[in-house]
Amino acid sequence: MGEVEKAKDRRGTLRRLLAYFAAEKRRVLLLLAAVAAGVLCGILAPDLQSKAIDAIAERRFSDLPGVLLIMAAVYLFSCFTSFVQGLQSAHLSQDTVRRMREDLFGCIVRLPIGYLDTHPHGDIMSRMTNDVENISSTVSQSVSSLFSGVLMVIGTVGMMIYLCPPLAALSCTTVILTAVATKFLSAAMRKAYRKRQTLLGSLNGTVEEMVSGYHTVAAYEREEAVIERFEQISNELTGVGIKAEVLGGSMGPLMNLINNVGFVIIAAFGGYFALKGMISIGVISAFIIYAKQFGRPIDEIAQVWGQIQTAIAGAERVFGVMDVEPEKAGGRINMEELGEEVEITFEHVNFSYVPGQRVLHDFNLIVKPGQKIALVGSTGSGKTTAVNLLMRFYEPDSGSIRINGTDIRQIDRDSLRDATAIVLQDTVLFADSVRSNLKYADRSVRDAEMFSFAVRANVDRMIRKLERGYSTVLTADGDNLSEGQKQLLSITRAFISKPRILILDEATSNVDTRTEKNIQDAMVKLMKGRTSLVIAHRLSTIRDADVIVVMDQGRIVEQGNHETLLEQRGKYYELYMTQFAGQQI
Amino acid sequence: MWKYLKKYWFYAVLAPLFMIGEAGMDLLQPALMATIVDEGVLGIGHGGVGSLDIILKTGMQMVALIAAGGACGVLSGVFSNLAAQNFGNDMRKDAFRHIMHFSFSQTDRFTTGSLITRVTNDVTQVQNMVQMVIRGFVRTIILFAGGIFFMLRLDLSFGVVVLCAMPMIILVLIFFLSRITPRFTILQEKLDKVNNVVQENVTGSRVVKAYVQEDYEQGRFTKANDELVGTQMRILLLLNYMSPIMNIILNLSVIAVIWIGRIKVGDGSITPGSVMAAITYLSQILGALMRLGMMFQGISRGAASARRLQEVIDTEPEIRDGSFEGEPALRGQVEFRQVWFNYPERDPILSGIDLVIRPGETVGILGMTGSGKTSLVNLIPRFYDATDGTVLVDGIDVKDYRLKDLRKRIACSLQKSELFQDSIAGNISWGRPGAAPEEIRHAAEIAQAAEFIDIKEKGMEEPVAQGGHSLSGGQKQRLSIARAVLKDAEILIFDDSTSALDLKTEARLYEALNREYPDKTKIIIAQRIASIRNADRILVLEDGRIAAEGKHEELLETSKIYREISDSQIGGESGG
Repeated sequence: MGEVEKAKDRRGTLRRLLAYFAAEKRRVLLLLAAVAAGVLCGILAPDLQSKAIDAIAERRFSDLPGVLLIMAAVYLFSCFTSFVQGLQSAHLSQDTVRRMREDLFGCIVRLPIGYLDTHPHGDIMSRMTNDVENISSTVSQSVSSLFSGVLMVIGTVGMMIYLCPPLAALSCTTVILTAVATKFLSAAMRKAYRKRQTLLGSLNGTVEEMVSGYHTVAAYEREEAVIERFEQISNELTGVGIKAEVLGGSMGPLMNLINNVGFVIIAAFGGYFALKGMISIGVISAFIIYAKQFGRPIDEIAQVWGQIQTAIAGAERVFGVMDVEPEKAGGRINMEELGEEVEITFEHVNFSYVPGQRVLHDFNLIVKPGQKIALVGSTGSGKTTAVNLLMRFYEPDSGSIRINGTDIRQIDRDSLRDATAIVLQDTVLFADSVRSNLKYADRSVRDAEMFSFAVRANVDRMIRKLERGYSTVLTADGDNLSEGQKQLLSITRAFISKPRILILDEATSNVDTRTEKNIQDAMVKLMKGRTSLVIAHRLSTIRDADVIVVMDQGRIVEQGNHETLLEQRGKYYELYMTQFAGQQI
Repeated sequence: MWKYLKKYWFYAVLAPLFMIGEAGMDLLQPALMATIVDEGVLGIGHGGVGSLDIILKTGMQMVALIAAGGACGVLSGVFSNLAAQNFGNDMRKDAFRHIMHFSFSQTDRFTTGSLITRVTNDVTQVQNMVQMVIRGFVRTIILFAGGIFFMLRLDLSFGVVVLCAMPMIILVLIFFLSRITPRFTILQEKLDKVNNVVQENVTGSRVVKAYVQEDYEQGRFTKANDELVGTQMRILLLLNYMSPIMNIILNLSVIAVIWIGRIKVGDGSITPGSVMAAITYLSQILGALMRLGMMFQGISRGAASARRLQEVIDTEPEIRDGSFEGEPALRGQVEFRQVWFNYPERDPILSGIDLVIRPGETVGILGMTGSGKTSLVNLIPRFYDATDGTVLVDGIDVKDYRLKDLRKRIACSLQKSELFQDSIAGNISWGRPGAAPEEIRHAAEIAQAAEFIDIKEKGMEEPVAQGGHSLSGGQKQRLSIARAVLKDAEILIFDDSTSALDLKTEARLYEALNREYPDKTKIIIAQRIASIRNADRILVLEDGRIAAEGKHEELLETSKIYREISDSQIGGESGG
């Protein structure tokens, strides 16, 4: 959450919000024109109405049909403008929101891994749903009524000035009172609304975390504690919500009061002026209608104001995510230009996730084309970090990583990742068919080709045993596949992407060793001439690696192939002996 | 829903009462205004001479009236918010409580994304609906009825206009609302879809990035988003046809009132001021009717959300508490009797398992991917229920225990080490809140986690990011093991939870575990033979059956599968 609450630049937020509308100039203009025409009708209608009543009062009954006919025409026109207005504002709001959601998603999907690793996912999601939803409903409901309200007030004031300047000036007390009250209330309102949205975000965060981590919650009977924590946030949210809504809701009655005070002022002074013979009765009755008419737009503005405050609070949070600097795109060099064979060098690489806690120390490594390199070492020794840096999920603090001599920062990031396939210990599959999941990297792959990969990865039989084979749709949560089966699918997915660099980060830890052996055999064929990096704890997995790199606390302590390392009788030997001796060491 | 509202009936009654106050003032105001206009300004009844006195006196009354009305309005707002938001809060809490008691297959069915939308967005919609009903609904009805009353009091003939206009408005409302309402359910479903895509991308970001599928994901999102916007658009467009038609009816009625006014003023039965008042009332009546229509729209949206929430609340947890209350004689025994298991509409995963694990025994489970290892242990703490057969813990059927009592006996370290946003100490003591720092430390030491915790800047207080992304795979597993150890249960289940540990650490872990807790029953699922070769008994699972069991040495001799697994791990040097 952190940084967004600080961004209290309301004007800047508003400007950015308006920029979204500016993209649809034609619609905005059309909308404004329709609103203006509607307002004109709204101002004309009471004048006509007062004419009609004057005609009745003065018993000029023959004038009435004409006036009523004009009235009918004005009304019809006003309905037409309101239709156009509604149409435009619907399109405008939905288009705006669609673009805003798309932009936000575009930012989310390009957020640096470092940001996602350190921010609650539920809160990020809350911005997409609650906050954008808020902006959406505000835009569709409020913006045109705000505009028409303002125009209406201006128009009415204009008419009043035209009819009788002194009375008009008096009416303006209403406007001034309104402005003061609005300013006073809205500051408090905005604060409450912002707090509410933040709490809503952390509520979402809790729900997301606990529902997705539900297995652990249940395993440790922590349901009650989790519920308690949730209820605490929920209660707090309710308290703040009530405060915000009550503040917002008191705007209407307050405006109503101000407006009626204005009305009495006008009636009193109008009556006084009439007694003095300064103005006609007709003018007074028109004034009274105008003064009354004043009320409606002001009331509307007041109501809309609350919504707009929420929307701005929401927009602040949305822009907060959009302002996170996206991943760096990298250089212009395409992997294709670097030749078919890939040599990777790490040169004096230092890295820390948290400043001051170094994870990689002066890391140097050369991976020759076509080699299979294994990284072994105790947990936390920096193996995954090295991979994170190669994939550019994170950037090194100092030193460089080169591919065929070119710093990876100069290589186009997408082409680098495109050429690389990574399989992680925590598998991620999408709520889609097995087929789409396997073809995730390249949807143009033919089924026949996919089958042959699946057969070679020893996963074909398992898939065909599923209810609908390759067309089985997985649910977001992995649909009762075992972890090992999910790993097999994600390994197959990696093979199908035909990578030039393959990274397996504990990718077969949940797969039984016989299946793993089959995968390895497949790998030997598939990765012929290609470079691969394997992180594994089972030494059997990596015995045949060309180079085995033994890491300890962010440093490389040994390097060589299986035989030479065994002869050295160092750390690798120790690890290897544990493998056989089991717990006896 | 009533069940939730009942608790706040006091607020829910007070809110409309104050509303009556506010609306009543709104109804009285036009009459006072008419007095000001007719008598004060125009001087009707005083020979055409206005009276400042009347204006000021009536004006004061009016302002006082409005102030009182406004106060009522604010209070009504306070109470309706107290009712609606507390109601929403209760419903939200209850829904969440229900989710927290779902069985795993029930959460599988709803999907995470949809559950999140229901607890957040849907609650807001329902809350808005309640707020609207107890406030807007009452206000509108009062304005409607009061408007008719006052208007007819002016002159009965105005009633004709209302009588003509009302059926038309109602017909238009029915026509449009019947078309709009069903779309709200669709709208929430589309929202679910958008949420699911976002959630997948936020949690699976590494994979999306690694395969450079940002554009594809953007496309997927665009599709979901377009569908959502499309649905919303259709609703807005329908509404947009409705309001001009309503306006035309309203405006024609105004003209009709003026026309009637002409006749009535002509025969001297009413004053021009009354005509003005009649127009005000008419707008109030028809405006109320229109708002009523809009409210129905809001209600139907809220109702769609309420249904979705109700679905969660009505879903009875499949796994119910049993009635066994006593203390079983055994401690740490697990027994499977002819146990079968399959996920709904799938082939059996476990086929007739018979197995007794004695107290204090260490059992290793080995088997191919998908052979049913995890499913087997998932039945012990009733994460899932067996499709057929009986699972017993300490001689009692697991279904007879109260769930809490059952799970208290079992500590699991799951395959996926789920960690939470909390400190390291908080995560370790997750299963036993309030554990003493020494106990936490001890658990961390057994789990071989102490050494990496100590080099963290804040040690035990170091915060863990959501999902534990700030830690390496092996560190996560060790915290998850420490968590299981600290829980101090008689049965320990490690579901492949040492796979990311190097063998040396793993060996130290098991050694410490055996030394400190020799009495605990330990069930260890593993891929590496080294992890379990010292177990009292090793089970080899194949296609949901126990294919072989025995000690390491025995199995090497008797079981072909076991030998194969062993060979695949240590190559040709088996027996070393």
